[in-house]
This record gives sequence, C-alpha cells and structure tokens, in this order.
Amino acid sequence: MKTKLLKLFALFAMASMLLAACSGIAATQAPAEKAKVVIFVGFGTGTDPDQVAAQEALAKKFNDSHEDIEMEFLIVPNEEATERFLAMVSGDNAPQLVGPHGTSTIARFKEYWEDITPYIQKDNYDLSDFYGPATTINKYPDLDAGLPLGLYPSFLFYNKDAFDAAGLAYPTHDYTDTSWNIDALKEMAMQLTLDASDNTANDAGFDASSIKQWGYADTWTDMRGQLTMFGAADQGRPTTDDYKTATFNAPERVFGFRWLHDGVWRDHFIPDANGQAAIDSTGADPFGSGQVAIWYSHTWFMSEGLNELPFAFDIAPLFYNQDGERIARIHADLFTMSKNAKNKDAAWEVMKWLVAPEQIVDVCKIYGCLPARKSTEEAYLNFLKERYPTIDHDVIFQAIDYLDNPHHEGWVPEWGKVNDTLNNVLSILYSDSEADVQAVMDQGNEDVQKILDEYWANQ
Amino acid sequence: MSPFRSLNKMSLARREALAGYAFVVPWIIGFLIFTIGPMLASLYFSFTKYNIIDPPQWVGLANYERAFSGIWDAVRTGDSRQFGDPLFWKALQVTIYYASIALPLNLGFSFFLAVLLNQNVRGINIWRTIFFLPSIIAGVAVTLLWVRILNPRVGVLNPFLKDVIGIQNPPGWLAAPEWAVPALVIMSLWGVGSSMIIYLAGLQGVPTDLYDAAKVDGANAWQRFWNITFPMMTPVLFYNLVLGMIATFQYFTQVYVATSSSIAGLGSPQHSTLFYNIYLYQNAFRYFDMGYASTLAWILFIIVLLLTALIFRSSDAWVYYEGQLRGRNL
Amino acid sequence: MKKVLDFLRWIVVSAKGHEFLFKGITTLILASGSVLILIPFLYMISTSLKDPAQIRSDSSSLIPRKPKTAEVNGNPEPLYEVTVDRQVQEYALIKNLPNGLGQFVDPEKPDVIQELRINDQKQLYRWDIHWENYPEAINAMPFWRYLGNTLIVTFVGMAGMLFSCSLVAYGFSRFRARWLNLLFLLLLSTIMLPSQVRLIPVYILFQKLGWVDTLLPLIVPLFFANAYDVFLLRQFFMTIPLELDDAAKIDGANPLQILLYIILPQARPALVSVGIFHFLYAWNDFYEPLIFLHSRQNWTLAVGLQTFDAIYTINTHLIMAISMLMIIPPILLFFFSQKIFTQGVVFSGIKG
Repeated sequence: MKTKLLKLFALFAMASMLLAACSGIAATQAPAEKAKVVIFVGFGTGTDPDQVAAQEALAKKFNDSHEDIEMEFLIVPNEEATERFLAMVSGDNAPQLVGPHGTSTIARFKEYWEDITPYIQKDNYDLSDFYGPATTINKYPDLDAGLPLGLYPSFLFYNKDAFDAAGLAYPTHDYTDTSWNIDALKEMAMQLTLDASDNTANDAGFDASSIKQWGYADTWTDMRGQLTMFGAADQGRPTTDDYKTATFNAPERVFGFRWLHDGVWRDHFIPDANGQAAIDSTGADPFGSGQVAIWYSHTWFMSEGLNELPFAFDIAPLFYNQDGERIARIHADLFTMSKNAKNKDAAWEVMKWLVAPEQIVDVCKIYGCLPARKSTEEAYLNFLKERYPTIDHDVIFQAIDYLDNPHHEGWVPEWGKVNDTLNNVLSILYSDSEADVQAVMDQGNEDVQKILDEYWANQ
Repeated sequence: MSPFRSLNKMSLARREALAGYAFVVPWIIGFLIFTIGPMLASLYFSFTKYNIIDPPQWVGLANYERAFSGIWDAVRTGDSRQFGDPLFWKALQVTIYYASIALPLNLGFSFFLAVLLNQNVRGINIWRTIFFLPSIIAGVAVTLLWVRILNPRVGVLNPFLKDVIGIQNPPGWLAAPEWAVPALVIMSLWGVGSSMIIYLAGLQGVPTDLYDAAKVDGANAWQRFWNITFPMMTPVLFYNLVLGMIATFQYFTQVYVATSSSIAGLGSPQHSTLFYNIYLYQNAFRYFDMGYASTLAWILFIIVLLLTALIFRSSDAWVYYEGQLRGRNL
Repeated sequence: MKKVLDFLRWIVVSAKGHEFLFKGITTLILASGSVLILIPFLYMISTSLKDPAQIRSDSSSLIPRKPKTAEVNGNPEPLYEVTVDRQVQEYALIKNLPNGLGQFVDPEKPDVIQELRINDQKQLYRWDIHWENYPEAINAMPFWRYLGNTLIVTFVGMAGMLFSCSLVAYGFSRFRARWLNLLFLLLLSTIMLPSQVRLIPVYILFQKLGWVDTLLPLIVPLFFANAYDVFLLRQFFMTIPLELDDAAKIDGANPLQILLYIILPQARPALVSVGIFHFLYAWNDFYEPLIFLHSRQNWTLAVGLQTFDAIYTINTHLIMAISMLMIIPPILLFFFSQKIFTQGVVFSGIKG
C-alpha cells in the first residue's frame, strides 16, 4: 500500500514537471520581429483538407517574398468558428484578417470590421478593374468591408440523364428566351419527379411518400434567398430602405411562398423537410445524390459538387419569374479586417496581395469563386474549361448581370434575429402541408416588425 | 462532567472540521483560480448590454425585466404572445417537457440495464461492452446517424413500426413539430451507457454476505432486490438524478447537431426543439447579446440550483447511506 | 414430447430450472438490446468502407458495393439480371426511357435492344470495400502527433483528476464541519451555469495566464477537482460503513491513511468509473481544444476529426473511419477495466 501511495505521488510529480516543461516552452518562444497577420478561415469555404494544404502553400509563397510581414492561416471548423472568433476578439487577440467570407457573415458581424475606405484613399488604390457589383455588395454608407476577392453567381445545374430518361428537352441556355419562366420550370420539374414505381408527379397513381427523384430544389438557401427571385421591390431585403418597416409579406413574396409551398405539398416536385434531411444526413449534396434533377445553386457548389458524378450534367440560366423578371442571387466573398486587431497596416498589405492580379486567380481557385477582376476573366475561363470541360461556361459569366439588389444577405438591424425569425417561417413551408400561407407570412412580418421596433427604440 | 472533557470534545470536533476543510482545499484553490472569476464575470454581464466587441454597459435589471415582462398579461389572457420575450418561455417549456420525459426514462432504463448486466450470464463482459458502446461513440457522427434512422423517408425505424408493429401512420419524428422532442428522447435512451455504468459500479458495492443472510432468512429474489439492492443503490440513484437533472436542463449538443444543418436552423421545426441552451446560444453567438445570454444563464442557474436543493432536502427520506454521518443535512 | 414436458417441469419446479429460465430471459433481452445498439454501429463501419460515389447515390445500403458494369460501345453500363425467353441473363441498361422503361442489351450483342421495365429487373452489384479510407484518413492529418497530444491530455489529466477528486470527495463525505455542506452545494453549482456564457471570460483568463495555444488549459484545472467526479466518489464513499474508519482510528491511523487503506480500496469500482468517464471526456472533447489551441500541431484527435466536417465536401467515409479508429482505445480500456471493476467489495460492515 505504501508503494501505491509513492507511485501516486510520483505520478503527480511527473505530471507537474511535464506541465512546467510545457509552460516553459510556451514562455521561451521568442517574440516575432515580423508583423504577424493571422487570417481566420471558417465562416465560409476553406476548411476542406485540400484547401488547407493549398492555403498553407499560399502562406509560404507570401512569407518567402516578404521580410517584414508573416502571414498565417488559422483554420477553424465552420460549426465553432463564431465562438472561436468572438473569444479571440474579446481576448485582445483578434485575427487581423477574416475570410474569405460572404455578405451574410460580413453583415452579421458588421460592427466588428474595419472600414477600409481610409486605406484605399491613402494608397489611392485603383478599384476600376473589379466588377461593379463586387465593389458595392459589401459596401455600406459607414463601412467598406474589404477589397473584392470573388463572385459566386447562381444558375441551374441539371442532370442530363434524368432529362433523357424522361424524354425531355434540356432547359435553354439562352438568357433572352423569356419562355423559360416559372411555369415552364414547374411543368418540366413535375415530369422529372418520380416515385418508386416511376410514376411522374403528373400521374394519377403518384405516391408522394416514396419519391426517389425530385424535379427541382433550391434547398440550401435560407428564407431571404428563397423569396428574392419573385421580385418584390426590396428584393433580398425584408424591410424598406430605411430599415424601419418590415415588408416580408409583400404580395410578390406571398406569391413566391405559395408557389414553393404548392411545389412541396401539392405538386410534389420540391423535397419537403424529410426529403432534404434524408439527403443531408448522408453527408452528400442533393444534386450529387442523383435525387434532384434541377438544382439551383452558386459557383461555389461547383468546386466540390461536380466531382466524379455518375451522370451527365450541364448548367442553365435561372428561369424568369411570374412578372417576367430574372433575379439570380449572387454571393460576393472577400477578406475583412478586424476592427480591434493589431498590425492593421500589415493586414492591409496582405489584403492587397491576396486580390492582386498576380494572385487572385490562384486564390479563387482554392475557394471556387469567380475572380472579381475583369482582367482575369480569360485566365479563369481557361481554368474552368480545363476543370469542367462539359459545361456551358457562358452561362456562368452572364448570370452576373441579373444579380439581386438589395442583396439577400445584406445588413438589416438585428441580422441574426431577423434571419432566424424568417427561417422559422421557412420551416413551416417545408414541414406543414396545411399552412395558411398568407397568415403565416403576416405573422412573420409582424415578428420582424417587432424586432425592428425594438432595435430603433434602443438607438 | 468536568470542563476538561467538554473542551477535549470540542477540540476533537474542531480537529475533524479542520481535517475536512483541509481535504477540500485543492478544490477551493481551483475554484478561486479558474471558476469564480468567469462565473462572476458572467453575472456582471447579465446586468449589462454587451456585444463582445465594445465594453459592457451597465443597464441594471433591464435584461431581467425583458425576460419576465408581460408575464401577467400572458397569464391573464392565456396568450403566449403577450410575453415580452415569448421565445424565452417557449424555450423553458420545451426544456421542461423534454426533462420530464427523458429524465425518468433514462433513470429507469439505465437502472434496469445495470441490473440485467449484473447477472451472472455467459459472456457478460461482452454484453457490458456492447451496451457501453453508445457512450463511447456518442458525438456528431452518431447524431447524424440517428437523424437518418429517424427519417420517415429513408430511415429504418418507420418501416419497422409500420410493417412489424402495424402502426399505419408512423410519426414524422424530427421533421414534425409534435414529434421532435420524443425523437430526441429516443436518441437519449440509446446513450444511457454512462449512467448504467454508475449503477453497475454501485451494484458491485452491495456486500454479497447481505444476500447470503437474506437467503438464509428465506427472502425471495424480489424481496432481496427491494430490501437490499434498492436501498443500497439509492446513493447512486441520487447521483444520477441530480446530475441528470443538471445535464438535461442544459441539453444542447445533440439538438444543435440535428437542427443546425437544416436550412430552417436551430430549434426547427417551428421552434419545437428550441431548448433553453439553444436559445441562450443564439443570443450569445448569433445575436451578440452576451448580456441577455448571461441573464438567461443565471435564470437557469437559479432554477437548477433550487431544484437541486429540493432534491437534496428530500434525500433524507429516501437515500440510504451505509456510512452516513449523523447531524448532516446533505 | 415427453422430453419437452420433463424440461418444462424442470424449469417450473426446480431452483436450477428457475435460474435457467431467468438467465435465458436475461440473455434474450440483452441480445435484442444489442441488436438495437449494433445496427447504427454497423452503419458506421460500413460507411467507413464506402467510397464517396456510393455515399452519394446508394447510402442506404449496409454493404459497401458498386454497381456491376459491362462495356457497351465503349461506355461502362450497369448490369441487370434480366429474364429473356425464360432464361435469366445479365443485360446492360444502356438508356433510361420515360415511364420507367429502359433499353437493355446483351453486352455481347449490343445491337439487339430490349425495352423492359427497370423496376422489374434486379440490378447487380459487386462488393467494393475501401480499406484505403483508413490510411487516407490518417494521412489527412498529423495523426500520430495528435494521438500523442491526446494521450498527454487524457492521462496526465486523469492522474490529476483521480488524485484531487479522491481527496476532495473524502473531505466532503467523512467529516463534520459547519460549512462543508454549503461548500458542497457551491461545488455542484459550478456545473449549473451554462458554459456558453463562461467561454469568453475563461478564454480571457487563459490568455492572461499565457496558456492559450498550450495544452495547459486542458490539463491543469483537472488537478483541482471537479463537481462530476467528486460528487460520484462522495456518493460511493458514503456507502462505506463508518465502523471501518473507527476500527482504523483505534489502530492509530490518521485520516490520510484511512483514505488510502480503507476508503479507496473499497471504492475501487467508483474510481474505475470516474477514470473511464474522464478518459472518454478527454478523448472525445473537441470544443475546448478547438477554442484554446491555435496551432494545428497542438491539436488533439477529436479536433482533427471535427475539421473533417467541411461544408461542401463529402468526407463522411473519412469521418467514420477516424471515428472507428478512435473508439478502439476506449473499448479496450473498458473491456479490460471490467476485471478490476467487478472484483467488487470483498467484505462488508456487518462482519467484525
């Protein structure tokens, strides 16, 4: 028994020594002479093992060519990125740059970013090479969030094998063909919706509980994104332009919600919550699973979603809406600078380097975005042709002209609360077949109004 | 009685007290270094407006008022929309609903399993390992697997309910507002391995000679269980009850994983899984309202503390300690 | 028949028969419970051996497999078992047609096309087991480095936890003092405050201590006891009869000796339990390491696993492979600790 006690204490002593050693290592780290720029990756793309390696190579390239600045990527899984970022900010340890991330996280954390307008003015930085929208989407009266990195226009991905099997012609690639509208899409999608015994959604014996292929889905998009295409005056913004009045139940949006709700529950060509969860829980995407014939998404979907698919596919423009407009959402990514970070001047240098004409194509290749510089269009087109030889690349570039404005991820007061409120309405759409659309939207509008009123009352 | 004796006795009691304090010193040191600071900080935040990037601003009781405002109107009219913050009440309600089903089921089920796994049947080590497996692999991957098993379209559960048991319209589980919480209860039952192990450890502590004596007295198996095993197990049952209660009120991870991947978001469908800690998390890390989140945390803290104290009070009546010190309340 | 009757009578009448029946029922319940537990587990194993293509299109199958194909006009086409002219043959499906029909051909004679209902034919598969997922998952991260970090965190922490929690639980269970009850409630209250609101103050604390990006935040606090383990040990200590202490006191033992020679040996199952729980906690915890560790080389396995969960990529097979590897040590630990665990208590307070 005595020896046991001794052993226990020996273990304790050993452990303490180990700890002392650990802390010793931590304490003896020499202070870096170079200005350190940490790039926090995790709010958007960039966490995949391949991307991690590519980013490390990028950091090496920068560090080899710069003597005064050291760049480092800090990659955090998406699920925990918010907590980690906030902990760092509050611990006086804010990462210098954050990104690449899009309009949603830029808006959600709007108070956390440094306005780069003074930096642009100081350097007289030339913005003329960037696509117009890339410079405006993440710009607010009091904040220019960062230099544009890339754009992710949206369009339809379609499964050619599914069309062939149904004996249907592929959707048009002609952006001017106005017959390609919301009704044409519905008609096509219903013929592409199949139950276990190969009945289509139009057939009398169709069994909605055993659907094996849906005609159409846009299910990776939240409520604001969903309703943008139906063309209310505020497009992607659920409020008036002074952010004081909720406009969520605008007639165009009610139409859109009804159209989607019918699409799920009456016409069955859009997957309901269970159908979506069935695909999500495998870790696969809806299009790649082969269970969705027409899939509406952005360029970011291409980088991983179009690999080694067991069927033929192509891309087509988004259809025109009920009022003859085409509003195709766009995403715009960039690196933002933390407001209370150290070494901001060094961070500005790194931000410039990342989007410089020499690097921007390489950086965008890592993240799957279209480089925001017009001068690199050809270089990127060549890359696309090589990487995705079978698709119609023109569809991608033309989509930029139809972007949503106001943007569906842009800032509104209490961004997170408004979004969660609207997404709760979205969950009714996908899970309640009996929902009274007008009443549900009116309720949602009232809830958003309450959030806005509270916000303005506290200003 | 001489005065010396009583002095002697006092110093003995004092010596015992000092020894007791001495043994808990390691915890007190740790509490002072690592725990009390962050706890007090969050208490302070609960009286402030704090968005994490700017310094906290003192707002007094405003956050507490926000949580409880409208309570009388809501009670009077029976309309939950009268609450100043209806989601706070919704979250509390979801959590209590879940706790009231999951906690008794978990306690009973794990106890039952432990008794079974304490039998002298062939391969008992392997059976125990199998039943402990879910506790080992519990995590994100398992939750996602359960999402799939419970899925009405592709899951294995509903075909079983329909074809084997004969239920014509099996529930929609996680996608149906009224079935989402029961679905989470089922998931929790799969992971009873840890409380089962604690019971099993407790069963090892029941001296075998007590059984032998009872057998000699002619007690049957049920009498032996009820008069020996059960009383000897009450300290462990008590532990599982208290810790189970504390954990259930802070239930978070599974529902976070199960609902955060869907576009409808945390607490979906239709707020049916808006657990207290989910709502707290949203306030802290989605709305950057750390002040209100801290208020919510401290309200929960008070609720759980009161319930714990209540359980401790009741323990005199039903928890049996072989080594109980006289003159103790806890 | 007579044998069956005898057997039934034996079960009903004799004590041995009762025991047989009881054990039989117990085993039956255990076996059916095991099936429920093992089904999800089997899915995990099978997913860890699939390739992304199958996870995409055929994820419900428990078997890692691929459609059998045959070369028709230079393209690999899926094979079906088709009944043509009352003969079962392997035909390739070369084109899907509306209404669930498909064009089938004999791969040997691709010119003769049969139109058949696809659902009536049986698609052929072959086994397709991807053992290489395991090395791929290991190589996708500095596995051995993370394993080393994990082992340090787990075992050093466990030693500290056992040491400190035994002392503190002993103090809370064996001594009468005025404030001990209140202190105990205070100890319990430390786990009643949701950790989300403590995260940021704790981070700031460790940042001030200079411990961020070291393993210290994951180890040092364990040397100062925690509510979960102290409470459990206290419950067990309190079931140990006081007569044992008294006997030792008469023999001149001091409190520390009583803890070492009387209490701890008696509470062995409880010590093993908290040891196992701590191991599992430290082994699987990714949240704290993720917040406190910046450099990738300082990560633990659980953090490495968490980072596989990229948003746009199918890594399910790799996640499952690492998950499978990660459950081996806990299973072994549990399996072998049962020997200590079930030795149980050798003597009780009634004796002597």
